[in-house]
Amino acid sequence: MTTLDNPPAETTEAANPTNTFDVEALVRPDRVHGSVYTSPEIFRRELEQIFRKGWVYVAHDSEVPEPGDYITRMMGQEPVIVARGKDGQVRVLANRCAHRGNRLCNAEQGNATSFRCPYHGWTFSNEGPLVAVPMRNGYADRYDSLRGELGLTPAARVDTYRGFVFASLAPTGISLLEHLGRSTDAIDRLLALSPAGELQLGAGHMKHFQNCNWKMVMENNVDGYHALFTHKSVYDAVRPAKVSHQPAKVKVLVRDLGGGHSEIDYSEEYEKLDEEFVWFGRSPREKLPAYVSAMEAAYGPERTHHSLVVGPPHTLIFPNLFLAEMNIMTVDLLAADRTVAYTTPALLKGAPELNGKMLRRTEGAMGPAGFLIADDGEIGFRNQRGLAARGSEWLQLSRGLESDLDNETGTVNYDKSSETPQRGFWREWARVMGASA
Amino acid sequence: MTTVANTDAGTSEATRPVFTPVDPELAAFIYLEARLADESRYSEWEALWDDDACYWVPMREGDDPQRNLSYIYDNRRRLRSRIAQLNTGSRHAQTPPSRMRRTVSNLEVLAQDGDTVTIASNFALHEYRYELTVWAGRYVHRIRTGPGGPRLVEKTVHLVNGHGAVPTLAFLI
Repeated sequence: MTTLDNPPAETTEAANPTNTFDVEALVRPDRVHGSVYTSPEIFRRELEQIFRKGWVYVAHDSEVPEPGDYITRMMGQEPVIVARGKDGQVRVLANRCAHRGNRLCNAEQGNATSFRCPYHGWTFSNEGPLVAVPMRNGYADRYDSLRGELGLTPAARVDTYRGFVFASLAPTGISLLEHLGRSTDAIDRLLALSPAGELQLGAGHMKHFQNCNWKMVMENNVDGYHALFTHKSVYDAVRPAKVSHQPAKVKVLVRDLGGGHSEIDYSEEYEKLDEEFVWFGRSPREKLPAYVSAMEAAYGPERTHHSLVVGPPHTLIFPNLFLAEMNIMTVDLLAADRTVAYTTPALLKGAPELNGKMLRRTEGAMGPAGFLIADDGEIGFRNQRGLAARGSEWLQLSRGLESDLDNETGTVNYDKSSETPQRGFWREWARVMGASA
Repeated sequence: MTTVANTDAGTSEATRPVFTPVDPELAAFIYLEARLADESRYSEWEALWDDDACYWVPMREGDDPQRNLSYIYDNRRRLRSRIAQLNTGSRHAQTPPSRMRRTVSNLEVLAQDGDTVTIASNFALHEYRYELTVWAGRYVHRIRTGPGGPRLVEKTVHLVNGHGAVPTLAFLI
């Protein structure tokens, strides 16, 4: 491990300001320096400051519904096993044999009460402890202490919010609820669409290689400015936008929720229209009778109507979870310019009628062949390549700066093309990366 | 995993070997379909399809498209939209289009059901767009024969890397 105070200088440009690790010089209220997307040093520091020390979304508990179920994931660049023990608890364990560091579990998912290392046969329970070592007399009297000490390293802190499992590799720091702050409202808004108040993320994730920095993938999700241009082909050829993009005509707002979380919020516009399912292809409720009646049985007609009008959130939860309306999206960080985006539909418990349609909607919009995301990936790649030109080194974040309004929900802007969400993202990024302000 | 060849085929009928020769006209149809896709001749490619089209790229062999997410699961209407989007010229992920050539080989008749023939094949596709990307896998074509010539009913694409991360797939595979 390199220490943060004394990193190796591996960037080739001696004049690169990142060599000083002066984060404050890279992020200003109205702009961000291009090196935040390109510098390998900054990338390594993100892995330490954001993906080890901070809270990171790891999985959803519906992906490991039964005792013994496990999935393997990455936290930053560290492999972990997310496993549900026989006690029902979901644990996040380092996917590394405590003997010689071999990656212990090599399947994406499965069900097992224990993991046996293929290298020398050490066996660990799915709750972490070392349970068996072959030919143990080779360790003589030390076996008992080895057995007690050498379990799978658990993530220092694991907590969940309504099924979303987050972990931190740092033993101390703010609680998950403090980290999530106002963004829990977005999770609540999504779950209000499930008659059971739960998600069932069982359809599998599309995994999409994108040749750009992970922050471009995340940030672009709350950029309300790009859609008319990046996604012009969809509006021209397939269907018009759900609501107008002209700020004078619609009450669509962007919001910096604080803590790096941010969103595009259509709810005021949808409430003004007072129309259900605008967010779901304007499907008439008669076409989803079982779903609507299950919702009304659970929540009553008024709350159901409200939930079906305002629909799901479009909210980025810092750093790596995007509630993409009826999709859940996260990222794996491969390198400063290489990311894998994971997407799965936000299938709802108790809503089979909706879920079947959601698979097709996710395929239409998201992933490597999606009508939307394939183009976002292309633009991200070009963005990454454009940044290599260093004549003018800053990216603008100033759009809507004068019209931002602070209220009890955060900092909002009623022009959805404002860069308010990105300003919030970068302020938090600078804070956790080490800026004093 | 000794039964992969059979499950690959996407049909339970494949447990017994079938040695039916491939009709040269159907082989020619599959090669035409491949070439139109390679050359991004979108509307000509679309015209090969019948109305009950299903263009499917699953993430894994054995997936159920009603339960599992796919990369592509287009019915005729979705297919029409896909082609319309490509034809705008502002589908950035294919502007300009990838340069491609694919080799389709190992054609086998898997099933013959009335006027519909199911043919499996292997493919290797070289795509150049900023860099050379190799795609490979197994095609399963269901083709309807008739006096008007062959029509494509289903094309399933089992990618060898479908379960892993894949690059942008905005071209016709």
